Amino acid sequence: MAYEVTMPRLGWTMEEGVFGEWLKQDGDEVQPGDLLFTVEGDKATQEVEVFEGGILRLPPNAPVAGDVIPVGALLAYIVQAGESLPIEEREQTSGQLPVASGQETPRTTGHGSQASALLTSHSSTLTSRRPISPRARRVADDLGVDWTQLTGSGRTGRIVERDVRAAAAQREEKPAVHATPLARRLAEEAGIDLTTLAGSASGGRIQREDVEAAILAARRETEEREPLSLRHERPSGVEPTETPDLAPQSSLSPHSRIRRITAQRMAESAHTTAPVTLTTEADATELAALRQQFKDSYTRRGWAVPSYNDIYLKLTAVALQEHPTLNASWSSDGIILHSAIHIGFAVDTENGLLAPVARDVATKSLRQIAAESKELIEGAHRHRLGHEAMQGGTFTITNLGMYGIDAFTPIINLPQAAILGIGRILCKPAVHNGEIVPRQMVALSLTFDHRVVDGGPAARFLNTVREYVSEPILWLSA
Amino acid sequence: MRELTYVDATREALDRAMARDPSIFVVGEGIGARGGNFNTTSGLYTKYGPERLCDTPISERGFVGMCAGAAMTGTRPVVDFMFIDFILDAFGELVNQVAKMQYMSSGRLKMPIILRGAIGIGHSAATHHSGSYYPIFAHLPGFRVAVPAIPSDAKGLFTTALHGDDPVLFLEHKSILFNRGEVPEGDYAIPFGQARIARAGADCTLVAIGSMVGKTLAACDKLAEEGVSAEVIDPRTIAPLDMATILESVHKTGRLLIVDETFQPCGVGAEIAAQVIDQGFDDLDAPIHRLNGAHVPTPYSPPLENAIVPQESDIEQSIRDLLAE
Repeated sequence: MAYEVTMPRLGWTMEEGVFGEWLKQDGDEVQPGDLLFTVEGDKATQEVEVFEGGILRLPPNAPVAGDVIPVGALLAYIVQAGESLPIEEREQTSGQLPVASGQETPRTTGHGSQASALLTSHSSTLTSRRPISPRARRVADDLGVDWTQLTGSGRTGRIVERDVRAAAAQREEKPAVHATPLARRLAEEAGIDLTTLAGSASGGRIQREDVEAAILAARRETEEREPLSLRHERPSGVEPTETPDLAPQSSLSPHSRIRRITAQRMAESAHTTAPVTLTTEADATELAALRQQFKDSYTRRGWAVPSYNDIYLKLTAVALQEHPTLNASWSSDGIILHSAIHIGFAVDTENGLLAPVARDVATKSLRQIAAESKELIEGAHRHRLGHEAMQGGTFTITNLGMYGIDAFTPIINLPQAAILGIGRILCKPAVHNGEIVPRQMVALSLTFDHRVVDGGPAARFLNTVREYVSEPILWLSA
Repeated sequence: MRELTYVDATREALDRAMARDPSIFVVGEGIGARGGNFNTTSGLYTKYGPERLCDTPISERGFVGMCAGAAMTGTRPVVDFMFIDFILDAFGELVNQVAKMQYMSSGRLKMPIILRGAIGIGHSAATHHSGSYYPIFAHLPGFRVAVPAIPSDAKGLFTTALHGDDPVLFLEHKSILFNRGEVPEGDYAIPFGQARIARAGADCTLVAIGSMVGKTLAACDKLAEEGVSAEVIDPRTIAPLDMATILESVHKTGRLLIVDETFQPCGVGAEIAAQVIDQGFDDLDAPIHRLNGAHVPTPYSPPLENAIVPQESDIEQSIRDLLAE
């Protein structure tokens, strides 16, 4: 079956690429690993290698230098000797280069987690394009084989029964791992291969204790080799090309999945946005009083008491309604102004930074927000959040007040336009009604992407937030 | 066991029934003293006389109509068309009267009439003497259609035909009429609608009809040397059609090829394929294939004749193609 050469996704947020040139010609024999063509990236021209051997066949409408091609679009075929080019029927349906279905770039959902968008589009591509015989589908169901990952051996590349049975047989050769869900998760995060562990529970099931023991053992082993710890991190998210040269008594802490994603996203944000941070100070005396009122009143009724975070979520949402240009996303085609206001908020968990998203904050009451954010925060700490819970945010707030921080420069959560940093509420001398009196003051830091929004609108938005902190009645009545 | 030719086995069934049942008589051209063009009645004229072996002029519609009347009044006519092509001259009687009479009389009238003749392509019989036409009769309600492939089936199915109340097309492929095979002595009947598994196998199901059964088995013998395990089903009757046996086999193998000499469009293969898709869709591991004779009038030229009929090598290739799907 002809192997399709498609435009690869070379960057985390790459949606299309500028075709450079073919490094092989039509009819050339290629080996896996050969450099096939180039793609002009933002900063450098990248050479793309081929993963299948065979004969390169370029369709008549193959791309030429300078063509802008969506990720996943078909560029060429690798066929085997004697195999014909499967493009005739494709040409009947479209005069254009066919775009692999399901590989459409996630433009409208681009503000979600890029990692999961990539995974989703990948698997749906496979599902929609693999032909499978009815019998093979039935047998796959019976045997619990995921046929979307199989290669068909039928005449037209159809997955037939023998392919499914072979996959099932292969699967059975691998030792089955019986592990509790918790053990699986811990192992995944710590990078422990479960097949190397022996289970202690009945039936050989691997439990949390088994994984924790393995983590400890691995750590001890590392410490024996490298007795003192010096954190060695590469926030760029780029893999070191060789094992870093560690000074004596340093240690290498392997990346967890969360660390990797955080590193990628932070580096991407730092490299691609044009960040500007504005700071101001707001008088939070009335806000503190309001919070005390909520506390007294809600506690008596047994309701979830809105935290400062919940109050900031709500007042920020109302401010965003007034300043929609801050509730926006950058995309290569244009700036997306979001109709909904979904605000992510940073939660510092023992395993790293997570940002669950509070939905439709503007239209919800503080009581609802408090109840929902409580669940999200608990979920974050217990690793119970699905991808969906962290996707779709249109703005983010990050509160470092509890750590005694005032102003700081938060990093934008791409592809959002801005992020609001909130400092501690500190009682200090301030001028109020012409007198120096003790007031509860809070520092507000807004980082915005100057590509998306200019300084004036951003400043006006931050000023509205400042007013809302000082005079809660303004947004409570909104 | 003793061996008989296909035609001798059928005649044995007819002879034994005629000896027992005086209401059975044969009508046709050259079936009297001549004993039939294909020896279908050889020797019976001396035994049962001209009244029960009734030679006719070339007048198909006339004698079919008379036999229909005779059947309705309690006798068992056997119409011997010699070449089945000439049944077409009686088509109106058959479709409008013979097939419908039991229904129209609410079962008060029976129609125990046997319509027999040689079918198929072979021996340069050319375009007026090479037809099969059984898909046409299987299409119509009221007819039973038997297409035995081996001598023992020919005898057993003919016996069944001689004992039923329905009009039966009994179709004997001229290329297998003189094949020899083991045939039990004495009376036995093979019920209609019960396929025969001519060869058991696991890799693919081959439904072969009439003369194609032997060719298909030969192709399977050859492929067996390469480890191919094919199952061959001989339906024996097209109407009724034993779908249960075919479905069961497809459930086992997942792949189906229908080998039939008759034309492909609207044919038996199409019917079987449709029913398998209907009732056995989830068993299919490959598209259903059909191998048929060419959709053309039959040529006289022997090489051309060979070219339009599925040969052993064609069947072998079709099996390979099916397994490659």
